[in-house]
Amino acid sequence: MQLDFLVLFEGNNFSALMSGLWVTVTMTFMAMLLSSCIGLVVGLSRMSSNRVLSTLAGCYLAWFRGTPLLVQLMILYYGLAIGMQIDLSASMAGVLGLGMYSGAYVSEIVRGAIQSIDKGQMEAGRSLGMSHWQTMRKVILPQAVRRMLPPLGNEFIALTKNSSLLSVITVSELMRAGNLIVANNFRYFEIYIGIALLYFLVNFTISKVISYFERKLSVEGARA
Amino acid sequence: MIRVERINKFYGAVHVLKDVSLTVNKGEVVVIIGPSGSGKSTLLRCMNYLEPFQDGSIFIEGKPIGLIRRGDKVTEMPQAELDKVRSEVGMVFQNFNLFPHRTVLENIIMAPMTVRKTSRQDATALARDLLKKVGLSDKADAYPDNLSGGQKQRVAIARALAMKPKVMLFDEPTSALDPELVGEVLGVMKELAADGMTMVVVTHEMGFAREVADRVVVMDAGRLIEDGPPEKIFSNPDNPRTRLFLSKVLSHEA
Repeated sequence: MQLDFLVLFEGNNFSALMSGLWVTVTMTFMAMLLSSCIGLVVGLSRMSSNRVLSTLAGCYLAWFRGTPLLVQLMILYYGLAIGMQIDLSASMAGVLGLGMYSGAYVSEIVRGAIQSIDKGQMEAGRSLGMSHWQTMRKVILPQAVRRMLPPLGNEFIALTKNSSLLSVITVSELMRAGNLIVANNFRYFEIYIGIALLYFLVNFTISKVISYFERKLSVEGARA
Repeated sequence: MIRVERINKFYGAVHVLKDVSLTVNKGEVVVIIGPSGSGKSTLLRCMNYLEPFQDGSIFIEGKPIGLIRRGDKVTEMPQAELDKVRSEVGMVFQNFNLFPHRTVLENIIMAPMTVRKTSRQDATALARDLLKKVGLSDKADAYPDNLSGGQKQRVAIARALAMKPKVMLFDEPTSALDPELVGEVLGVMKELAADGMTMVVVTHEMGFAREVADRVVVMDAGRLIEDGPPEKIFSNPDNPRTRLFLSKVLSHEA
């Protein structure tokens, strides 16, 4: 068989890939939002002086970081439906699964960034009569966010790539769209190269967006 | 103004402050000196409870800070109350601790706007007055990392003053500065003292202590070993350890 990249545009192939790409992008985006919220809450909770809270956050991290995403997705989609009669739609299970898994990693990014801020910053805020939370919100977090960006870039790119696993739970995202085409025409090389390029495009955009925010948040003359 | 009554502090098993008592009157400038590790910074930081202590009491204008006792029970005071007392006590740190993501002006107006709910307009007007007072009117829009150490420390003083504190605590305010920048910070502190601000200063600047202090307090190994007017402490101290400490510091300074 001769290589022929035009198969990418044959019949409905291109529009199928595009709608797959769209699903990948929207699901990843929603999962990122979920992951950021979970990461912030779990990360802050882990540092809390409240024992119950920090233990719960520790358990969350241990579980979601310590088990494979594919297994988590299987439990969410097939396991819950059959074992507990909780029937999630494929995309719901997908966003939840990706978001919760990635949230565990983001919580560590949040914790690391906050703990890297000099402890004198909190002391200065407190000495001025601001509460712990006021200082956290106005002094610590704005500085920590800047330090979170590079590892968050990594994490969101990993998240996009991991979204290809959603094909296993029947989400019609890019990988699944590709699989369906390949099942018809056996053009493994051309189709998967095409898909790889599309994933690359998404991730390249993410890295550009992250570095845009890094520049925007950098402070004139700041060493941080 | 400040009353420290027999406080004890432990870091784990290490006893760092031993039965320390000290009274600072309104308008007084008290300088705390002593060898490193003697607990002078720790004592200062206890005065706004940045450093928790386990026993004894500290009162700021009659109000307790940190620990409250009801009958026999001693408990840590609620955070909200602690924040309130702290807002009356200004603190200047060795490492400035300015907020690097905010301009000089924003550094100064943040706490008044957040804690006292001052309007941005009023807070800004006050901040500009304070900047003028510390001689940095032209730096309002600069970021802290673009300032020299001396300028940073003067901004930090202005930031603390913006809360209109009743007392100012200085924790080695000139120790992180290049020698030629020490003067500008001490100058601002002298002006503050002349304005009648109550000040507690931990420092190694013996010249400042001699010139500005109403009282000098000497600490050694977690105890307050001597307390008196600077003339007496520097020329004729009672405690032999004070003498030893001063002989080392002053020979080096001369």
